[in-house]
Amino acid sequence: MKPRAVTGFGVVSPLGTGREAFLESMRAGASAVSKGPIQTIDIAKYPGVRVAEVGDFDATRFLGDKGLRSLDRLTKLLVVATRLAVRDAGLKGESGWPSTPAGAAAWADRVGMIVSNAYGSLEAISELDRVAVLEDRRYINPSRFPLTVSNSAAGYASIWEDIRALNVTVSDGNCGALDAVACADMFLEHGRADALLVGGVEALAEALVLAFHKLGVRGACVGEGAALLVLETNEGARARGAKAIAEVTGYGTSFVAPKAVGALLCPSSGALEHAAAQAMADAGITGADVDLVVSGVAGIRAFDDEEVRAIRRVVGEGAIVVAPKLALGETFGAGGAMGMLAALAHLQGDAATPVVRGTLRGQVRRVLVTSLGYYGNASALVMRAASR
Amino acid sequence: MFVTGVGVVSSIGLGREAFFRALEAGKSGISPVVSFDAAPLGREYAGEVKDFDARDHLTSGERGRIGRCSAMALAAARMAIEDAGLAPAAVAGPRTAVVLGTTMGEARTLAELDRQWILGGPEAVSRAKIPRYGSTLLPVHVARALGAEGMVLALPAACAAGNYAIGFAADFIRAGRADVVVTGAAELLQELQFSGFVRLAAMAQERCQPFDLNRQGLLLGEGAGVLVLESERHAAARSARLQAEVGGYGLSCDAYHITRPHPEAQGSIAAMRDAIGRSGIAAADVDFVNAHGTGTRHNDAAEAKVIRDVFGEARIPISSMKSMLGHCMGAASALEAIGCVFTIETGVYPPTISYDTPDPECDLDVVANVARRGKSDVVINNSLAFGGYNAVTIFARPGVLPPPRAAEGRA
Repeated sequence: MKPRAVTGFGVVSPLGTGREAFLESMRAGASAVSKGPIQTIDIAKYPGVRVAEVGDFDATRFLGDKGLRSLDRLTKLLVVATRLAVRDAGLKGESGWPSTPAGAAAWADRVGMIVSNAYGSLEAISELDRVAVLEDRRYINPSRFPLTVSNSAAGYASIWEDIRALNVTVSDGNCGALDAVACADMFLEHGRADALLVGGVEALAEALVLAFHKLGVRGACVGEGAALLVLETNEGARARGAKAIAEVTGYGTSFVAPKAVGALLCPSSGALEHAAAQAMADAGITGADVDLVVSGVAGIRAFDDEEVRAIRRVVGEGAIVVAPKLALGETFGAGGAMGMLAALAHLQGDAATPVVRGTLRGQVRRVLVTSLGYYGNASALVMRAASR
Repeated sequence: MFVTGVGVVSSIGLGREAFFRALEAGKSGISPVVSFDAAPLGREYAGEVKDFDARDHLTSGERGRIGRCSAMALAAARMAIEDAGLAPAAVAGPRTAVVLGTTMGEARTLAELDRQWILGGPEAVSRAKIPRYGSTLLPVHVARALGAEGMVLALPAACAAGNYAIGFAADFIRAGRADVVVTGAAELLQELQFSGFVRLAAMAQERCQPFDLNRQGLLLGEGAGVLVLESERHAAARSARLQAEVGGYGLSCDAYHITRPHPEAQGSIAAMRDAIGRSGIAAADVDFVNAHGTGTRHNDAAEAKVIRDVFGEARIPISSMKSMLGHCMGAASALEAIGCVFTIETGVYPPTISYDTPDPECDLDVVANVARRGKSDVVINNSLAFGGYNAVTIFARPGVLPPPRAAEGRA
């Protein structure tokens, strides 16, 4: 792929909302893993499961208090991240989209969004299922029903921020946010938009905590949040006077199925090896050029081991590997985007995300970001410091 | 980019031959729902797939790990690969990707888990079933069965998901990231979704009547439509039969209302114009529009506006397959894409059945009740979706479209 400029980002995470707060947490090496009760779910019912919550999340602080009532947490997280992203990248100010010269397309028609999400609104689906099972299907709330559709959050975000060029929701488990970047690369190449908000969203829902509890996932932590990076062509960014804070230069993906007929969950180092090798080839670099690997290591032993194994094979034994999910939690569909933001923090200087291999040292110029899915899927991409 | 194979699981037939015959005959797939008790909701009809038995298409091992939505997708994928004349070994490996659309994926699996949880608490939830939920699984299951090792991606783009997947697949091949993409979409009929549409007062009683003055709303449907897309080079190297060329595609988002299309339909108009422009042709070159035509007042009125705006006084023939299939949600535009291939191959425009009374607000040349023969070099597949999503793809007889210009981004 051609190098694509990252010109800003919006984030709502357990480690801060907005650019400054998030980067400060990365620098401080903060962790959001809960040690006690949280606000949204009674986790005492699920002993052993750890969570990372966006604490005191109040969408009205960012969006005002009109029109939020029928929205779920997933949508609110994404809408806030969307607003932060368009402002952070200087695409939009307090008074909305800047005007364009007569004859030129309006900004709203030149900006699009690509959002990864793995599980949809479990909150809304469980809520309606509860009414259907315990009362009657005929009483389910029609104003909540739209939330059960998988692209609902992205649809609402486009309405709130008036984003019209295109709107795509992708789903590839924990890898989806990296795939969204591949999608953005093609759309930019074909002139479908001048700027794209790319990333993912996932909301903490009791059903997810229950799933981790039932599956006996103890090491990992269920997280939540929304992260959107603004991607543009380098020429486009220059033309509007936007400064690139980093570039994405390569992408790869692969799927290697488990061999056992009955197996479904499968950590596949083979898939990640292919994906990472493709991403590096796409970026025109080799393992020796990779200063840091921002992995998707999340605290699930079998998956972590396979991920690190693949990284060692592709990048080399000297690979330095960090794992922001150990501080932020597993945010599934948003995971890759959170990883990209952690990579940004490292490219900008003294970030201190949890290290799982090697020792952080010196300036980071090129980062490999990896994601290993639960089913044999894997994706990877390469980011580098912005060219001057 | 060419379509070299198609596979279908639908309420009007399984596989290319049966589906094509049914489209020509104007067969209705609408019948009383049997998979759950719909009667108390006051609506009982849908395009439910009654003749699909996973045992005819999947191994016992596959059936053990796959939900119904993925099973329909996999069956359609196998049909498409056979139709394309591709040997299993030719689709195995890293150069084949699987990109599928859906709205809710394995919604029944989630409903079952929720039911266990609500009635019996966490202890009652089936541990083994948990990993079987997630729309991600749709392409994962298909890729695994085919041995494909390239990208696996689900595009939950609601009722335009099939068009999104096909457009994405074409771009992915164009970017050099795959030679073959197994693409399309799948959706199953599910109780919560059915109840939701009833509660939104969007569902008709027994007949879906797109563009009719007295249309009462949509009917739901289910099924899977899968297409094999191949790069020109890959198809030529094996002398594959080219069924249709994938032309340009257009996307936009209304940013207006979560369920209703914009009344002025500017986004949808822009997407259709973009698809035509990216195909290197003019509106006058288009022969037929396979319309979204859901049978709701808002959709059909907005779509009529789009067609009149793009085609002006030229009365282009249009038709909605949803009159036969119901609205198969994510799978709709994939099945309709296969309908476009049907039209290109046979020169037949599928009819809009149940069409009784023209609506002045939808002043269009609707192919009413009986299939029609006509020129079929370039066909448009239109879709509008939940979330304000608009997606339009163009299919053409191979050799008709001007050579792609890279800068135009022809799919």
